[in-house]
Amino acid sequence: MAYSDKVIQHYEQPRNVGSLDKNDESVGTGIVGAPACGDVMKLQIRVEDGVITDAKFKTYGCGSAIASSSLVTEWVKGMSVEQAMKIQNSQIAEELSLPPVKIHCSVLAEDAIKAAILDYQQKQGKPAVSAAE
Amino acid sequence: MTDDFFACMGLPRRFDLDRAAIEGRYLELSRELHPDRFIGGSSAERRAALERSSALNEAYRGLRDPIRRAEHLCKLGGIDLDSDARSGGAPTPSQAFLVEMIEARELLAEATTPGEREALREKIEAAAEERLAAAAAALEGGMIRDAAEALVIHRYLRRFLDEIDGAQH
Repeated sequence: MAYSDKVIQHYEQPRNVGSLDKNDESVGTGIVGAPACGDVMKLQIRVEDGVITDAKFKTYGCGSAIASSSLVTEWVKGMSVEQAMKIQNSQIAEELSLPPVKIHCSVLAEDAIKAAILDYQQKQGKPAVSAAE
Repeated sequence: MTDDFFACMGLPRRFDLDRAAIEGRYLELSRELHPDRFIGGSSAERRAALERSSALNEAYRGLRDPIRRAEHLCKLGGIDLDSDARSGGAPTPSQAFLVEMIEARELLAEATTPGEREALREKIEAAAEERLAAAAAALEGGMIRDAAEALVIHRYLRRFLDEIDGAQH
């Protein structure tokens, strides 16, 4: 199957690969998996005054999964938490021209950013709770 | 509608099947369906034998490998591990397990010697074997859901083993 140019760009030069301190109060971490193929994705955001100032990811999966998470980390920087929450997998799939069999990769990236936001919001709501897993 | 590989081969629908028995049955049925036996038959008969033969080959491939056999039993039981559907698709593993999978990758990235990578590989391989054994036990007990959960973990572990092998080259 042929990957689109944008997928290949993100795959060969992924943006924002890495980790943020998951115990930091201003960092939200989302970890999601695709059970059917075994892909795992970790996406983290740093939020300052309601705005996402940094985003990092580590994705172990196919080129489309890596490209989807790379794209999302690029998009969310500078967005408010509310804006980032509205990102839809269809926008990711469209931007990367993902074929139907790879749509689940964009779903994974949407799930990951939502999970990261949720984690951040929970930390803010319950600052006394430690980040025990 | 899922094709039933067990019915196709006339074998009991269970995980615990002897590999030699599966192979024996395959050879026996293949002989029965051999095109030479249908030379004098009508074109409809010849076509039917060909279709049966192709279904048989697929069933054999699906049953001789224990992992595929286990996954096929889940599919017949209503859980399709190739699907991400919330209902009837592969069950989602726990968050703790996904965290473990990320951390194991980080360990692999930090491993500098072949010995360290090998130690990690052995650990993951042992975990994978243990999950497959758990799936087998669950299937023999008719617990499809438990089997599917173990097989999903097995898929993640297998994927990771492929990555370790890739990193060694």
